[in-house]
This record gives sequence, structure tokens and C-alpha cells, in this order.
Amino acid sequence: MAVTVCSTAFEVLGRRQAASLGCAELPIVLVPHPFGSISRSALPKIAKEVAAQIANLMAEKNTSRASTVLVDHCEMLNVSSDVEIFHRLCIEQKLSDGLPVIPPTPERVQKMLAQSARKPEEVIARLAPAFGDATVARIATNAVMAGCTPQCLNVLIAAVEAIACPEFNLQGIQATTNPAAVWLVVNGPIASALGVNGGANCLGQGVSANVTIGRALRLIMQNIGGAFPGDMDRATHGQPGKISLCCAENESVSPWISLHVERGLSTETSSVTAVGFSGTLNMNIHSKNAHEILRSIADAMAHGPSNDYWCGGEPWIVISPEHAQILSEAGLSKNEVKQHLWEGSKMSASRMADKDLERTRRTRREELGEITAHTKLSISRSASDIGILVAGGEGTHSVYIPGFGNSRSVTRAVDAI
Amino acid sequence: MANSILIHNPRAPFSQGSGLKASVLDHLAGKVVGFIDNTKPNFNHLMDDLAVTLLEDYQVRSVIKRGKRVQSIPAPSAVVDELVAECDLVITGSGD
Amino acid sequence: MIEVSTVLVPTAPKQIFVEKKQLTLESLRGRVIGFIDNAKPNFKDLVDDLEQILIAKYGARKVIKLRKRAASIPAPTAYIDQLAGACDLVITGSGD
Repeated sequence: MAVTVCSTAFEVLGRRQAASLGCAELPIVLVPHPFGSISRSALPKIAKEVAAQIANLMAEKNTSRASTVLVDHCEMLNVSSDVEIFHRLCIEQKLSDGLPVIPPTPERVQKMLAQSARKPEEVIARLAPAFGDATVARIATNAVMAGCTPQCLNVLIAAVEAIACPEFNLQGIQATTNPAAVWLVVNGPIASALGVNGGANCLGQGVSANVTIGRALRLIMQNIGGAFPGDMDRATHGQPGKISLCCAENESVSPWISLHVERGLSTETSSVTAVGFSGTLNMNIHSKNAHEILRSIADAMAHGPSNDYWCGGEPWIVISPEHAQILSEAGLSKNEVKQHLWEGSKMSASRMADKDLERTRRTRREELGEITAHTKLSISRSASDIGILVAGGEGTHSVYIPGFGNSRSVTRAVDAI
Repeated sequence: MANSILIHNPRAPFSQGSGLKASVLDHLAGKVVGFIDNTKPNFNHLMDDLAVTLLEDYQVRSVIKRGKRVQSIPAPSAVVDELVAECDLVITGSGD
Repeated sequence: MIEVSTVLVPTAPKQIFVEKKQLTLESLRGRVIGFIDNAKPNFKDLVDDLEQILIAKYGARKVIKLRKRAASIPAPTAYIDQLAGACDLVITGSGD
């Protein structure tokens, strides 16, 4: 027998996910939220109440319980052709991200599917936390809604494969209170074929391929993965990157090997890399000295409430072409940049709040041994866990992208068209 | 006047899973109870207090306490296998 | 057959300014030249070098150099007024 003790604010997530996993009858016993704020002296009383509830479950054994009714699902829907009425329907039914979407008619979906050699009914992955089947057809449907061109489908299929990998930890990213989102990086020939921007404003709006691919993935994560804000998505604030974040690497100006080649693919192979991230921070560094630039970046990376420091995570730096050129001209390889940043960003554990230090001690004890307030914590387990991407336009800005912490980026090759 | 059009449903149906029926014990006395600590603040204390209550007030035979490294990843398979094999009841933590 | 509908244009029209005739100088000799330094790296050094060249080689009478506090804000009105009142030519910086 299994019982879950769940804080009240997470009851919806608990019950919905239990049903998704075929365990709708999993008993859930509730405790006050936020449970972590309750004083130690008040806990024994709560423990007695929990014990009594568990004991009552035994007494209720023979009482019939209402079973969860699964919502009927249709593959096709009849909707109004009026754009405003359709938009309102999508809002009410929680099918969109709040912005208008393009109706995924059979004709539009078929055009999208014609770009892939895979069968429409092929299940690419089951996506947490509701573990819905991401079929090729369903991916195409959400891609149409997001405004993607049909040629984007194979990128999205590879992106779905990537986020479903265990090391990516989609479950954690979808259900967390953190502002965790998915950033897609496109490499190889398909980036220019689709017009994915890796230059000026590459993390911003304006270029259709960037915005629609990122948006489509979010719709997939929501409509197929089941994580809708306030429901299974428990994000406290969220962040703008949850609407969309997708860019290319600026391969033509990078002085180093590109991300997909670093990860073992050939230059001619197209790929997409999915990164679980927590936000972006501008680093406006005017210095033209390589070591000054690295010192500034490393300083910016170190912050007490960071998920990367307590987990041993995977932080990323989007290095501007200008900064990359300075670093490269100083004789630094990408790996050497990572090593410098890893060493330079080591942070005194005393910068963490007490409870954060406590969980860091518990989480990284196996890796780092006994951790005290005087320990210098590394941001990741090794320098090679720092991600470097050369992207952006002119300007003295690089971008620090903190990781989710308990996630590792995954790169997948994109099917050739 | 707006017409109606046919569209693909972008949503996946809820997974049916394996349709497991929850097994329920008759009573707690004499049983082995396992815990998976989700590492969220206070759960370790709740686990300790609950263990004492179950042993003293409900005559549970013994308690096995295991934990995860962090809350946002699954428990290791070895932990799950051990608790499934040894325990009559497993209690996990969820949320904050 | 695809239906056609009428929509409003979401963009604003470009502003139409009455084009002012660009003032030009016949020569730099004897002129007062002003600079608004945009505070970006190296512009101060460029201004200092230009000052020397404009006086020594082109016979400018005097150079007035004013520097903004930061690149991404306009020059103070007092600077504009001062240079407009005193200078025959004003040179500004833009970009990085």
C-alpha cells in the first residue's frame, strides 16, 4: 500500500498526476502549506493527525470510493470559424498560451505532416507530468496552432525526443515552483533553412521561426504534457521564457566549434538542444581584456539563492560575438573558458540562507564531502557542465542563463527533410 | 454568420496507465512501514514524529526511512525496490 | 475559395517632417566646433585627437567638449543650448 503526504497547495498536482499514472485511487493525506514554515514544535501534533488519517484509510477499506472519471477525448473538434470566438474557446478550454492561435484544421495539419517521413500516429514520447502521448500528429497540431511553418515540424519532433529523456527531468521542470522553462538551440543547416535567428535580438521577439518554434514546444508541454499554470504547473511566478525561447547559435562568427559538434555531431547534421533554465541576466561588460571579461562573468554567476549551486547544476553563458572574439584572440579555447568560469565562480557557502545551505549539505555531500559555511561551492560538478553558446549581434553584452539545477540539456539530431 | 470548422484536438487524453487498484491494509499493527523523504523542509521531522507515533500508538512492527537526493528527481530504483520488497505501507512526501 | 475580409492596419504612418535645409559651412577655419561625447569607450580619445587636428590642420578657432553622463540618455538641454549658442559645428557620437 502507498500513501502520499501532500501539502495543500499541491493537492491538485498530486491527484492529477496520480490519475495520469493510472493510480487515481492513491490515498493522499494533506498537511498545511507551506509545510516548511511550520515550527518544529508544532510538527508532532501534525504527525499524530497524519497517523490518524492513515489509520482511518484502513477503516474505510470496505467503503466504496467514487472512481475517477477520465474525461472523454475526441481527436477532432468542431469549432467556430470566427477568430474571436475560437480564441475565447481556446482560453476557456486552456488550449492556448493566452495568445490567439491558428485553428489546426485537417488541411493545415496535413501540410505540416507532409514534412516528416514518420507516421502521424507514431508516439515520439510520453510527456510528464500527465504522460500524454506526443504523437507526430499531435505535435503537428500544436505546431500549426503556434504559427510554425511546416518545415519546423522535424525540429519539434527532435525537441520532444530531447525533453522526454530522463536526464532532462521534464517532470521536475513542468511541476516545479521554480520559474523553469525550456530553451531550444538550433544548430546546423536547418537553422538557416528555417531562418532561426542567432544574431541580433536572438533571444527576443520578431523572427517568426524563433518565436513559433519555442511557442509550439510550450503548447506541446501544456496540451500533451498536461502542465497548465495553477494546475499541474506550480510555478510561483513563471517567466517570459515560458511563452517561448528558441534561437540558433551564431555559427558563422563563433571562433570555436559549435554546440552540436562539441556534442559529437557532424557540422552538416542539424540538431536541436533542449536546456532547462531559470531566467536570463544581462552582463554588460565593456572590458576588452579576456581575463577581466571572464572574471566579470564568473562574478555574475555566483549568487546565493541559485539552484545550480545547491544541486551542482548546468549553467549557461550566451557569449556575444565581441566577447567571444576577445577571448579567442587571447588564446582561450571553449574548454578553457569553461574552466576559468568554473574556478572563478566558486562561491562561499556562507552566502546561502541557512535552510538553503542545509539542503546543499544534504544534496552535495556525496560529491563534495562535508560542507560548511566556509566551503567554496562550485556552480556545477565539473567545468564541462557549463554550457557555452556564441550568439547575438553587436554589443558588449553576454547573457548568463542559470539552469533549473536538476536537469541536463539534451541534444538530438533533426530528421533530414 | 460564422461557420463551424473541424480542427485536430491539440490535447492528449489522460494516460490510462495500468489502472492499478489501490491496495489497502486491514490494520497497521505488526506491519512494516517505509518512508521516502522528498527532502523538502520539515519532511524529515514529520517522518521522525510519524515513525514514533506509528510505533507507539499503532503498534507498527518497524519503520524503514529512505530519502531522495533532491525532491525534483525520482527516488532511485534501488530504494523503490527495497521498500516494495520490505514494506507493507510506503509513505512519500509531495509538494512544499 | 478563400474568403477575403477587410482589416485595419496596425502600424502607425511615418511622421512627415518639413525637410529643413541642411546648413553647411564653407570652411572650418576660424570656426567654433562642439563635441557631445556619448560616453562610449574610446570616443573621448577620438574627440581629443580630433580637437588637435581640427585646430592644427583645419584652422578651427576653438573646440568645446561636453560629455554625457551615460550613452543611453539624451544630452541635457543645457548642453544643447550651450553648443547651439556657441558653435558653428557640433559633432556627436553614436553606437559602440
